[in-house]
Amino acid sequence: MRAFEIIGGLLALAGLWALPQWGELSPYVLHIATLSAIYAIPAIGLNLMLGYGGLVSLGHAGFVGIGGYAAGLLMVDAGWTFWAALPAAMLASGAAGALVGALCLRLRTHFFMIVTLAFGLILHAVMNNWEELTRGPVGLAGIPRPEAIALFGAEIAFRRLPDFYRLTMAAAMAALAVQALIVRSDFGRMLAAIRQDEVLASARGVPVMAMKVAVFAIGSAIAGAGGAFKVSFLRVAAPASFDMLESINIVLIVIVGGAGHLLGPVLGAGLFVAVPEALRVASAWRLVVFGLVLVLLMRFAPQGLAGLAADAVRRLRGKGALRAPGHA
Amino acid sequence: MLLAVAEQVLNGLMLGSIYVFVALGMMLIYGVMHVLNFAHGALFMLGGYCAHLVFTQAIGNYALAILAAIVMLIAVGAVIERTVFAPLRDNLRNQVIASLGLVLFIENLVVVLWGPNALQFRIETTQAVVSLGVLRFRVQHLLIIGVCALCVTALFLFLQRTRFGTAIRAVAQNPRAALVVGIDVVRVHRVTFAISMALAAIGGALLGPLFLLFPQMGDLPLVKGLAGILLGGMGSIGGAVVGGLLIGVIEAVSTLVIATDYRDAVTFTAIVLVLLLRPQGLFGVRTREEA
Amino acid sequence: MTKIVRRAALSVLAVGAALAGFTPIAAAQDRVTIGVLTALSGPLAAPGRFQMNGINLAVEDANAQGGVEIGGRRYQVEIKVYDTRGNPAEGASAMQRLTTVDRVPVVIGELSSGVAAAVAPIAADNEVPFILTVPTGPNLTKANNRWLFRVNAHNDQLSQALADFISRQGWQPLAYIAWNNDAGRGGVQSMSRLLPQGWRIGYTGFFNVGEVDFSAHVTNIRNAGARAVMLFMDEEPGSLAIAQIKAAGLDVQLIGTLAMGSDRFLRRLDAQRLNGMVQYNAFPPNAAVPRIQGFSQRYRAKFNEEAHGFAAQSYDGLMVALAALRAAGSATDARRVREALTRIDHEGVTGRLRFDAEGQASPPVYVTQWCADGRRRILYPADVVADCGAG
Repeated sequence: MRAFEIIGGLLALAGLWALPQWGELSPYVLHIATLSAIYAIPAIGLNLMLGYGGLVSLGHAGFVGIGGYAAGLLMVDAGWTFWAALPAAMLASGAAGALVGALCLRLRTHFFMIVTLAFGLILHAVMNNWEELTRGPVGLAGIPRPEAIALFGAEIAFRRLPDFYRLTMAAAMAALAVQALIVRSDFGRMLAAIRQDEVLASARGVPVMAMKVAVFAIGSAIAGAGGAFKVSFLRVAAPASFDMLESINIVLIVIVGGAGHLLGPVLGAGLFVAVPEALRVASAWRLVVFGLVLVLLMRFAPQGLAGLAADAVRRLRGKGALRAPGHA
Repeated sequence: MLLAVAEQVLNGLMLGSIYVFVALGMMLIYGVMHVLNFAHGALFMLGGYCAHLVFTQAIGNYALAILAAIVMLIAVGAVIERTVFAPLRDNLRNQVIASLGLVLFIENLVVVLWGPNALQFRIETTQAVVSLGVLRFRVQHLLIIGVCALCVTALFLFLQRTRFGTAIRAVAQNPRAALVVGIDVVRVHRVTFAISMALAAIGGALLGPLFLLFPQMGDLPLVKGLAGILLGGMGSIGGAVVGGLLIGVIEAVSTLVIATDYRDAVTFTAIVLVLLLRPQGLFGVRTREEA
Repeated sequence: MTKIVRRAALSVLAVGAALAGFTPIAAAQDRVTIGVLTALSGPLAAPGRFQMNGINLAVEDANAQGGVEIGGRRYQVEIKVYDTRGNPAEGASAMQRLTTVDRVPVVIGELSSGVAAAVAPIAADNEVPFILTVPTGPNLTKANNRWLFRVNAHNDQLSQALADFISRQGWQPLAYIAWNNDAGRGGVQSMSRLLPQGWRIGYTGFFNVGEVDFSAHVTNIRNAGARAVMLFMDEEPGSLAIAQIKAAGLDVQLIGTLAMGSDRFLRRLDAQRLNGMVQYNAFPPNAAVPRIQGFSQRYRAKFNEEAHGFAAQSYDGLMVALAALRAAGSATDARRVREALTRIDHEGVTGRLRFDAEGQASPPVYVTQWCADGRRRILYPADVVADCGAG
């Protein structure tokens, strides 16, 4: 069973890696796949906070923006390479996450949601208004794609779409791996204990506040990486890429994909980017239809796409009746 | 300077009264059903469009148009409550997401049906202007405040003095115990939703003539109203009123001292500060938080 | 009521057809497809409507004349329209699809400068020319992108004549109320740069898209003693701002943008409140210029409303694209189309259009003023100055 999963995973990986080689495959498909990966990265960060830590943040795009602007400014104004700017961006958004987390993690449920929403709005206002630094609403243009690197003697030029696609795929895989490691570590188990019963966890010696701040900082740092990839992909950092709607989109991606499932953010990001693209033909109606799809998903697949997939696998194996449903 | 502050306080109270109106229906649903219905702003907007439709295409009587909008929104609300919120009763997170899906659905449906351009909703009798010192306000705005006060009072009396109101409060406090003592919880939820829809319809129909009708008209008031509820302490009508008004005042007064493009940032920083000092909000009661 | 029901029914049919993969039966004639980016949803959907009106009218006009002749063959003109929602990532995906799936030889449109900045590099990647028809950020055409062109005037070009006019009139202190987005902030920036050094600015009030209450700004403007108020925003918030300024009894000179010089704007307010207001304009619909009159009449006949500047610019955008296809002699070779664009000299409805080395055109810009009777006069440029009824 374990082997089955590993082989399946490796096959999927090989397929994704080879995608650009499939003959006439359109750059458009690669573009959409890249964008999905770029949305999946911050969603993985949020999944750690929301799915595993129980923290519903409505300001996540603000932290994606910190990473994006940090990377963009370092590359454009300070002449750093992408490879130097990426860790700096993660550090910046991680530090901001730790700071904001330390401030507002004392608040619970809806209070926490609205305060994070407030931070998202404040960060957006700074990106939009601080024209001397951020260039204001028209955005910081001229952000380069990552510099080419030599690997086994071959040059990989990331300004070309196929190579950039592979880079973001690798980054998304790395984020997934980090997520899996965290979830399966002692840290992850303590997080689960806090989510299930904070008072009990605290009584048993789990440092609740420190754990929550840590997961907020890690989630924000991953979001910052997503931001760096996003601005390098779009070659512009604009406030419209990091507004409240984008924050809500990331929450939707996590929950629709299946919060608290390792693959949930990836499935959610795929759905979020691909469905509106597929509906382009029905231009005026596509968001009406998309809204309806969301409502129906919540109604009939409350565990998200990952939950739906897990159910299907279970049914295929004929064990549906024996297993308890996935956790809430 | 003092005069300028006084003027801005008055401006802010007028603006805040609109946030209160949006917040009221949302707060009711939150208080009773523990759902943050993000679609409330979109439904508010829909109420305005319905009233406009009836007013311009059918009867031309403002009061009747509002009444028709109430009926229409209660019908829409009944469908939404039965098909979306009731089946998701035990899953708060999914209710929030479903309500966000409803926002997309409703706002874009309105764009398709009515077009993206703002509609004008002219009610000649309320165009007149009333002077308060150097400030002047439209009769329509005073009407909104009057109706809002009326709704708050009626809601308060209904919840405190009537049998059904008591049942609603019982469900709000403890749905299981309410069920045990024989209260029809399903019916309480339906009636609560209907009242909230009626408030949205009245609010949208009143706000339309003051400004304009457009698909996103409910978005900003919703966020501000939500912030107001939070500032006041979730779940108390008085708190929602004070919170909403306070947000309006902070917004208006802040323009005197801080660059206006940071107006929202200032408002939300104030909220964060208040909550850090008083995590239960200004008027909230500290309870054991729900999961 | 019936109109809405009918539109709903039609839309349902349209979606059904689209989802079922319905394609019109190919006619015997050849077709050339132009890509269009615009906002069909989101807060920019209203200006997007004007943009699409202009483009649709251009397609109709071109096909009514038997289509476009390219390399000795006649082509029917078609457009492929994608929604960007005002979101940069969405715009980039749409451009990628237009250039690599639909393989259009040229793309026109877009509304927001922030989206355009993310879209333009994709056009360069795939070597397809992209002609902007509305975004006004001056830096867009200074990014060294050979594939980007712009037919409309940018903020600095639009504000220049008006800034001269304001300084001649001595309107200071000046106050601003502006959208807190690329259009509003960009407008304030350009105007402040172009006014004489040290021109007194009494107050600057920014507001977010969707805000409708300007009372705090109006009070501050009165207390700042401003003589004139410049409004950088669209028609809808503009009508609200003016209504609130006038209701507050402020005696200030109103100054506006091209969105505020139309009969549609008059209907939102009235002649009494608009009297004396000046604004820059890219397309004064009643000017005694044949190309302007002709467009205004055709536009009114089709859409039953007064022509809008965005529509006229976008009409020209499509016509310039067709002229470039004709000159390139190819309906598919985007490189040759770009080459042709650099040399284009087109008499559009907004004026004579030629691109400079950065791809920026310099269409004429006007300053118009509202008269007491609800008509408009033209104050600038000198060769078309005319009294009430001409603007």
